[in-house]
Amino acid sequence: MKQKKNRNTLWIVLYLLPLAVLFIGFFIYPLIFNVYGSLMNWKGSSDMHWNNFANYRKLFNDDTFLLAMKNNVIWALSQGFIQVPLATIVALILARRPKGWKVMRTIYFLPNVISTVAIATVWVALYNPQFGPLNEIVKMFGGQPHNWLGDTATALPAIIGMTVIYIGYFMIIILASIMNIPKELYEAAEIDGASVLQQEFRITLPMIRGTLVTSITLAMAYGMRHFETTYLMTGGGPAYSTTTMGIVMYQKMDALRYGEASTAGIILILLGTVVIVALRKLLGNNDPMAEAAQ
Amino acid sequence: MKSTMRKGSGILTKILKWAFLLATLLIALFPLVWLVINSFRTNYEYEIAPLGLPSKLSFENYKNAIALTNLPRLFLNSVLVALGSVALNLIVASLACFVLSREKFKGRDLISTIVTAGVLIPVISFMVPYFIMITRLGLYDHLVTLILIYAAVNLPVSVSLITSFMKAIPKELEEAAIIDGCSFNQRFIKIIFPLTQSGLATAGTFCFIYAWNDFLMAMLFTSSEASRTIQLGIRFFTSQFITDYTGMFAALVLTMLPSIIAYVFLHDKIISGMTTGAVKG
Repeated sequence: MKQKKNRNTLWIVLYLLPLAVLFIGFFIYPLIFNVYGSLMNWKGSSDMHWNNFANYRKLFNDDTFLLAMKNNVIWALSQGFIQVPLATIVALILARRPKGWKVMRTIYFLPNVISTVAIATVWVALYNPQFGPLNEIVKMFGGQPHNWLGDTATALPAIIGMTVIYIGYFMIIILASIMNIPKELYEAAEIDGASVLQQEFRITLPMIRGTLVTSITLAMAYGMRHFETTYLMTGGGPAYSTTTMGIVMYQKMDALRYGEASTAGIILILLGTVVIVALRKLLGNNDPMAEAAQ
Repeated sequence: MKSTMRKGSGILTKILKWAFLLATLLIALFPLVWLVINSFRTNYEYEIAPLGLPSKLSFENYKNAIALTNLPRLFLNSVLVALGSVALNLIVASLACFVLSREKFKGRDLISTIVTAGVLIPVISFMVPYFIMITRLGLYDHLVTLILIYAAVNLPVSVSLITSFMKAIPKELEEAAIIDGCSFNQRFIKIIFPLTQSGLATAGTFCFIYAWNDFLMAMLFTSSEASRTIQLGIRFFTSQFITDYTGMFAALVLTMLPSIIAYVFLHDKIISGMTTGAVKG
């Protein structure tokens, strides 16, 4: 299609310029620079020189980094396939507008606006082996007190389990999508004698498929870039059991191993892309709501 | 109308439903309630019974927390950084979105796609390039640096949100304005910008929440007390309390208060903003 030249070309360029500067400065240039740095032997202020993928070989032979990659995938999967299904169940219930649903919706979202640092600090206190209320509760039920964050077997599940408090984020998105489904569909189903559960499985879930796929994708992307909560709660320990690629990257950078840190960054981007592309292949990306709207 | 909503089924489903809601709500709320309760207790009370209630309402911990931490300064820094990044983010995004949603030109869709795809990039992977760039530009340890980063990192979200709002404004409004002799700039300032206010509020909220709560970038790119934000401050002052747990809890409550108060007033806007993005996007 041929386009007429726009009379406002100069203004268009000027209006786009600030975006271009910031986007190139903080997304495109760092991406290119990261690729370049990942291929270099580069420590602190020393010169950079080509090292024939030595950083990549080193990281892929490093048990800690492999563990971090595994943990990242665990994070992504747990965010996508524990967080989002829980959020969906809450959304399905709230969509039927039980008493107080608006207040509940507000409360569910609340943890998302409170600082990660504060929440992480509180949870460290909750898990505290000596004075933590969690062990008090365990003792009440006759269990043995446990050092949740100090044991390599329970540290990662303890941190991931804590992120359940954030389900409100996806719940709100899914709830909005459910409330957009035309009421007539349910009225028709009711006349046909379909139970609530049947309605959810035959109408609601298929209709919000697109939103669910988007939510799972986003949840997994957030899981992949996970850093702060783990860094604040365990620093990646004990014995690297909770480490993530972000934490390895930070430690490399802190040790002035810039080349290897850049490499970890590139692998993080690639792994994230692979996981998300595989997921979208698996789930498909057809959105009946969007199709219906056209 | 509520009365037209479908009725729930049997008693068992009802029990399961409420049990599930209560359990998840408890997990979300319990830590906060527990924190507030213990911020009013003494360390002795806390250590012998972490799940107990305060014996009397005492603000001792809060007095200590205020004395020990430089909270006003930390708050001021965080407010400056958050408001600065919101302003910068919204100006840059709305200028670009006006052009991307209301003008036709070559490469428009490509620009939109690339910028929006930025949402999926894990920005933490840019630690090294950001660090090098910031130190070379002499921007290390300045509040302006944080403003730039927060504004830039939120551009993909803001651009996709604001574009969807601007696209929804009817063409006729602008056409009428053009006939009346409105220039390119006037169309933006007088018509499109004011009509996009709810979209701007939403995008601004997202940016504000991110800027207010970020820890990583503040840790990487600032060091002195003069440019310390509240999140970094929490990290520093938790070490000052050493074994004074309940004093630390009081300080944590103080740092959470602004977010919670803002949320109480703005929750409708935030929630409707999130859902507008979801339904349109």
